[in-house]
Amino acid sequence: MIGRIWAIALNTFREAARIRVLYGILVLVLASNLIAVFVAELSHRDADRFARDIGLAGISLFGSLTAIFLGVFLLYTEVQRRTIHAIVCKPISRWEFVVGKFAGMAVVLSVLVGLFAVAMLGMLVWQRTGVSAGVAKALVLSWLEVITVAAIAIFFSSFSTPFLSGIFALGMWVIGRLTPDLEAATRAAAPWIRITTRVALEIVPDVHLFAVSGRTLDGTAVSVHGDFVPWSYVALAAGHGVGWTVALLALAALLFHRRDFA
Amino acid sequence: MALSWGCLVDLAIDVHDLRKTYRTPFARKKVEALRGVTFRVERGHIFGFVGPNGAGKTTMIRVLMGLIRPTGGSAMLLGHPLGSRAARFQIGFLPESPYFYDYLTVGELCDLAGRLFGMPRAARTRRADELIDKVGLGGARGLNLKKFSKGMLQRAGLAQALMNDPELVVLDEPMSGLDPIGRKEVRDLILELRDHGKTVLFSTHILSDVEAITDRVAIIARGELQAYGTPAELVSQRLQGVDVVVRLPAAAPDGDAGLAGGASRVRRVGDELSLTLPADADVDAWIARAHAAGARVLQVAPRHETLEDLFVRRVAPPPAPPAPGDASAGEVAPP
Repeated sequence: MIGRIWAIALNTFREAARIRVLYGILVLVLASNLIAVFVAELSHRDADRFARDIGLAGISLFGSLTAIFLGVFLLYTEVQRRTIHAIVCKPISRWEFVVGKFAGMAVVLSVLVGLFAVAMLGMLVWQRTGVSAGVAKALVLSWLEVITVAAIAIFFSSFSTPFLSGIFALGMWVIGRLTPDLEAATRAAAPWIRITTRVALEIVPDVHLFAVSGRTLDGTAVSVHGDFVPWSYVALAAGHGVGWTVALLALAALLFHRRDFA
Repeated sequence: MALSWGCLVDLAIDVHDLRKTYRTPFARKKVEALRGVTFRVERGHIFGFVGPNGAGKTTMIRVLMGLIRPTGGSAMLLGHPLGSRAARFQIGFLPESPYFYDYLTVGELCDLAGRLFGMPRAARTRRADELIDKVGLGGARGLNLKKFSKGMLQRAGLAQALMNDPELVVLDEPMSGLDPIGRKEVRDLILELRDHGKTVLFSTHILSDVEAITDRVAIIARGELQAYGTPAELVSQRLQGVDVVVRLPAAAPDGDAGLAGGASRVRRVGDELSLTLPADADVDAWIARAHAAGARVLQVAPRHETLEDLFVRRVAPPPAPPAPGDASAGEVAPP
């Protein structure tokens, strides 16, 4: 089983590594890090603070968008190009294929997030700022966010076109990110609006858990520049991400299992 | 040959009343791609699956390969139920117009196939090298599949299909895109597989290939089996006519020199006239008439039904009912 999943993952990694857009995104993130530092220098602001904010935002934004971009094509292209015909006739289960595709994409995204992180840490070192535990935790949370968003995208890719999958996945990510704001905004609204919002938010992964810097948790302000969340929070958020990822992959596998490849 | 469900060991494929119905997404219109198809393939046989475009050949093969779920019926592959992993370990499949990951080389494609069969690295490498040479792609080892011609892709597809040394090889249009030499090589490969005790099922449009190498044939049209048996069983052994070729005298006028009355397939090239006399024609009398007209008889050969004749007879759509007021209505076509 592991060998078959690994074979698909390795092939997916090879395929993704050939997508030139990824290299463009990488350059964009590196450039945004550099620009952030220069702008901070010119405006006499706290340059290392600026580098941390821009670096983490870049990882979250570009990492999640890349996850959506890669994920929505992942299964759809296999079916559309019929490359799957020569694969699923072999002794591999369809769920193993879905998990293998996801694993390959997760490796690609992890490499990408790793490179983004190296760029950000490079900027911090250049600013002669140490890398705090808060930054390390924020990086782990960003990576978890990207992986969870990838699972959302692959779920939609198992039954929908890339365009629709992209819209759905983007919508879920944005709603998941804005959950606390949407809850606050509807607190004084009519009961049916509150209930509808609650239901909608329940079926969306709480990706806001992965971007906590600048928010207040249990009455305490958390910031990557100062007091950040403990590792126990990171573990809890990881549990949430893993739970959603497993559930979404299981659903994707179930939908994929029922499909005809005509 | 096993004839009951309880005794399947001698059968490579046992298909019983297999049906597949598609429904269009919005109109919910039913399209019956397979309408209760039943056939059997014995182990060690070459089985040809022929039919016109849209007949249901590819649907049948995709159902057998687990790509499409049947709506009804059942099938056993190598004694295992449809879709079982145990069967898939022993099956090699070449899809129709194969699409592979075009960034891979043929070696990497074979390696991927070998990994999915759980083959160890050394065995994968050895087998891939052997198959790449066998299908004639030894000189294209370093090229990505993106740069392959259709025929080369077909060969690459054959190589990946044989990685697990399968007991049952299923080839959907394996001759498609190949030149005559490539076609002969694939025919030879299929025969070689049979010589090694493998079972081969292949679909094709090319009836001469079917006649040349198959042990059994199934003709499918409109989702139904139209004929099924050995080529010899299927075609009528009754005399269909007599093919004659004569050389007309140099002074003979254009046309058939009065010799083609009652004949069919009349063709004249230069001074050679070829035609087919009816099966009940008095050939001696016709030859005497030809001699009297100054013609020299070059060939007289009995004509039996070919698979192509059978195919056309079974597969041709029924003639449309005559339109009202049609002058030809009520006329009977000559046999």
